[in-house]
Amino acid sequence: MSYVDFKRELGFLFSKKSVVALLVVTFLLSCFSVWTGTEEINQQRETISRLIKADQIDREDVIDKKSDYGSMAYYTFNLTYSPPSELAFAALGSRDSMPWKHRIRALALEGQIHESDTGNPEMALTGRIDFNFMISILAPLLVILLLHDLKASEMKNGREELLSVTSRKKNSIWLSRVFVSIFSISICLLIPFWIASVINMAGLGPVLLVSFLTAAHIALWAFICYWASKKSRSAPHIASGLLGAWLLVTFIIPAGSSVFIERTVTGPQGGEILMAQREAVNDAWEIPIEITMAEFVKTYPEWKGHTSMDGLFDWKWYFAFHQVGDQKVQPLVSSYRKMIEKRYDNAGWVSLVSPATFVSRTFTRLANTDPISAWEYEDRVRAYHTSLKEYFYPYLFKKVEFDKRELDKLPKYNP
Amino acid sequence: MINQLLKIASEEWRYWFRTKLAISVLFLMVCMTTAAVVITAFNVALQTEQREALQRASEKAFIEQPDRHPHRMIHYGHYLFRTPPPLSAIDPGVDSYTGTSIFLEGHRQNGSTFSGQQQSTGLSWLGAFSPANVLQVFAPLLLIIVGYSVVSREKEAGTFTFLKVQGVNPLMLILGKGCAILSAAGLVMLPLIAGSLFALSKGESGIVTFTFVISYVIYLCCWSAVVLFASVVSKSNRGSFILLICLWVATTVLLPRIASNSATVLVNSPGKIETDFSVLQKLREQGDGHNANDPAFSQLKANLLAKYNVDKVEDLPINYKGIVAQSSEKNLSKILNDYAIESMTQQVEQAQVARSFGWLSPSIAIKSVSMQLAGTDLENYHRFLVEAENVRYKFVQSLNELHAHEVSYNDDNNKYKNEDTREKAKVSSDNWKVLDNFNFSIAPSEERLTEVKTAIMQLVFVFFIFIALTVFSGRRL
Repeated sequence: MSYVDFKRELGFLFSKKSVVALLVVTFLLSCFSVWTGTEEINQQRETISRLIKADQIDREDVIDKKSDYGSMAYYTFNLTYSPPSELAFAALGSRDSMPWKHRIRALALEGQIHESDTGNPEMALTGRIDFNFMISILAPLLVILLLHDLKASEMKNGREELLSVTSRKKNSIWLSRVFVSIFSISICLLIPFWIASVINMAGLGPVLLVSFLTAAHIALWAFICYWASKKSRSAPHIASGLLGAWLLVTFIIPAGSSVFIERTVTGPQGGEILMAQREAVNDAWEIPIEITMAEFVKTYPEWKGHTSMDGLFDWKWYFAFHQVGDQKVQPLVSSYRKMIEKRYDNAGWVSLVSPATFVSRTFTRLANTDPISAWEYEDRVRAYHTSLKEYFYPYLFKKVEFDKRELDKLPKYNP
Repeated sequence: MINQLLKIASEEWRYWFRTKLAISVLFLMVCMTTAAVVITAFNVALQTEQREALQRASEKAFIEQPDRHPHRMIHYGHYLFRTPPPLSAIDPGVDSYTGTSIFLEGHRQNGSTFSGQQQSTGLSWLGAFSPANVLQVFAPLLLIIVGYSVVSREKEAGTFTFLKVQGVNPLMLILGKGCAILSAAGLVMLPLIAGSLFALSKGESGIVTFTFVISYVIYLCCWSAVVLFASVVSKSNRGSFILLICLWVATTVLLPRIASNSATVLVNSPGKIETDFSVLQKLREQGDGHNANDPAFSQLKANLLAKYNVDKVEDLPINYKGIVAQSSEKNLSKILNDYAIESMTQQVEQAQVARSFGWLSPSIAIKSVSMQLAGTDLENYHRFLVEAENVRYKFVQSLNELHAHEVSYNDDNNKYKNEDTREKAKVSSDNWKVLDNFNFSIAPSEERLTEVKTAIMQLVFVFFIFIALTVFSGRRL
C-alpha cells in the first residue's frame, strides 16, 4: 500500500460522520478508562502509604506497652502489601477480588492469610472499564461496527465494480481500507494509553508490547471482518454473524469452559482448611505438652533441648502449637493451592480460541495484576511470616531477657 | 383487529423461519438460557449442600469440645457459612465475589474468607454464565438481531406504502411487529420462568418470584420497544442495525462499567485493614480484656468493690476477670460495630451511585432488581455480616458470663500452675450448647419488594419513553 493510497483512504474514512463519531467516542472512552484506572491505582498507593504509617504507630504503641518477647510476638501485627505495578492502571486485573494487603502476626498463618480485605463486591461483579477491557472486549466490537460493511455498502451503492476496476490489484483497495481502519482505531485507543503510561512511568518495553498486542488484536478482527465481508450478503447479516462469532469466543466459550474447569478441577474447600487448622491449634490445650513439642521439633530440631516448661503456660509452647497447627494442614493447603493454580492454568487453553482471553491474560501478566501475581504475593507473605516466627523463637526458647533494642532486628517486609 | 394483529405477527415469524439467521439465533439463545438455568441450579444446589454440611460440622465440633476454661472456647470460636437463597439459582449476584464463611471469635470481627472468585479460572470477561447475566446482557442482542428490520425492511422494500394503500394502519402494523418481537422475547423467558418456579418450590415467596419474573418481562419489553423504535425511525435496515448495536454496546456493555468506575472514584471506601488500625488504637485506650490489671479498668474495679462492699477483687463473689472480659467485649463490640456500619454505609453509597445509572440503562436497572429480589445484592451480604456479628456477640458474652460466675477468681489465676489447678478452672462441656443452629436468611420478602421500587420505576420509565417515541414516529410514517 502506497502513501497515496493510505492518505486517500484516510480522507475517505474521515469523510463519514458516523465513523468520526465512533472514533471520537473510542478516544473518549479510552481516556476515561486510563483516567479512572490511574485514579484507582493512586488510591491503592495512598492506601499503602497510609497503612505503612499507621503500622509504624501501632507497632510503637505495642512496644511501649509490652515488656516480653511473647507478648510482642502475640500483639504486634506486621503489615505486608503488594504495591501496584506501573502498568497496573491499564489492567486492574484481579486486584479487586484477590487480597494485596495483609497484616499478620507470628501466630498460625492459615488462620490469617485467607482473610481478604477486598473492595466492594457489587462493583467487582460489574467489573470496570480499564484499558485492558477496551482492547480485549470492546475493540473487536468497534472493528465490527467499522468494517462489517466493507464491501456490502459499496456494492449496495453500486460502486463496487468501479472501485475494483480502478485499483491496480484486485483486492488492494479493500486491503488499504482495512489497514487504515486498523490504524485509526489503534491510534484512538493508544494515544490516551501512551500519555497515561508516561504519567504512571510505565516501562517502555511493556508499553510497546501492549501497543503491539492492541494493534494485533484489532488486526485479527479486521481480517475476520474482511473475510466475512466477501460474502455477498446484506451488511446487517454479516454483522450479525460477526457479532455471533465475537459472542462465542468472548463469552460463551470462556464462560462455558470456566464452568467445566471449575467442575472438573476440584480440591479441598476453603472452609475445610480453616476448620482443620482450628482443631489442630485448639487441641493443643488438651493434649500433653510433650506431644506438641515433639511435633514442633520435627520442623525445628534446633530447639530440641529447650522444650521443657515450668508451668502449664509458656509463650514458646504457645507459638509451637501454632506452628504445629500450620504444619498439620499443610497437605490441605498445598492441594488447595494446586487446585486453583491448575484451574487458572487450564483456563490458558481457552486463549487458543478466544483472542480476548489471550489479550487479557497476557496484559494482566505484564501488569502483574493476574492471579499468578497474587499467589506470588501470598508466597512472599508466607516467607515473611516464617522469618517473623524464626526471629522470635530464639528469644522464647532461650528465655532471653527482654531488651527493646533487640526489636530493631525484627524482620522487615520487602514488597 | 386482533386477527390483523396476529396475521402481521405470524407473517414476521414466517419471515424469520425463511431467513434462517433469526431462527438460528433464537434457537441458540434459548439453548444458552436453558443451559445457564440448569448449570447454575446444579451449582447452587451443590454449594448449598456443601455449606450446610460445613455449618452443621462446625456446630457439632463446637458442642463436642471437652471441658474447658470458657475463655478457651471464645478463642476456639465458631464458623458461619452463608447458604445461598433459592433465587440465587437464577441470579447468584455478588455470591462469588464475597467470602462464603466467616470465623467468629472474641475481640475481633473477622472478614469473610474464600470467595469463589479467588478459586475461579478468571474467565468471566462479560460476567458469569448465569441465567440472569445471559438474559440481561445477551437477550437484547437477540432481540436486535431478529427485530432490527421489522419495519425498516418494509420501508426499504417499498411494501410499507403498499400495505398503507391496502388500508393497514401504520400503528397497527408497528403493533403487530412489536407482538412478534415480544413473542420471541417470551420464548427466551421460558427457561427463566422454569428456573423461578424451581426457586419457588425451594421456598422463595410467591410474590417475590412473581415480581422477579415480571421485572424481566418489563426489561425485555423495554428492549422490544427500543428495537421497534429503531426500526421505525431508521431509513434503512443497516441504519437500524447500527443504531441498535451502538445502543446495546453503550447500555449493556459500557454503562454498567462506567457506573462502577464512577462510583469507586466518587465514593472512597477504605478497606477493613485500614479501619482496623483505628479500632486497635481505640481498643488500647479502653483496655485489653485479657489483662484485668490494665489501668483502663480501674473505674470498673472501684465500682465493683463498692457494690459488693469488699476491699480486694479476691473477695468478690464473682470472678473479676470474667467481668472485665465481659465489659471489655461490650465496649469493644460497640467500636467494631461503629466502624463496620461506617464501612458498609460507604459501600452502599458506592452501589447507589452505580445504581442511579439505571435511569440511563435498563440493564443496570434490571441488574439491581434481580439481585435485590434474589437477595444476592450487597445489602443482603451486609445482612449476613450483621447477623454473624450478632451470633458472635451472643456466644462470646454467654461464655464470658460463665467465666464470671462459674470459674472462681482464685482458680482462674492459678490455672497454669499444674494439672489439678488447670482442671479446677474448667467448666463442663454441657455449657457449649450456647449456639443456636444458624441458617442465614435474606431480608424478608416485603423488605426486598420495597427496595426494588426505584429500579422497577427506572425500567418502566425507559419502556414508556420508547413506546411514546415509537408511537410518535409511527404516526408520521
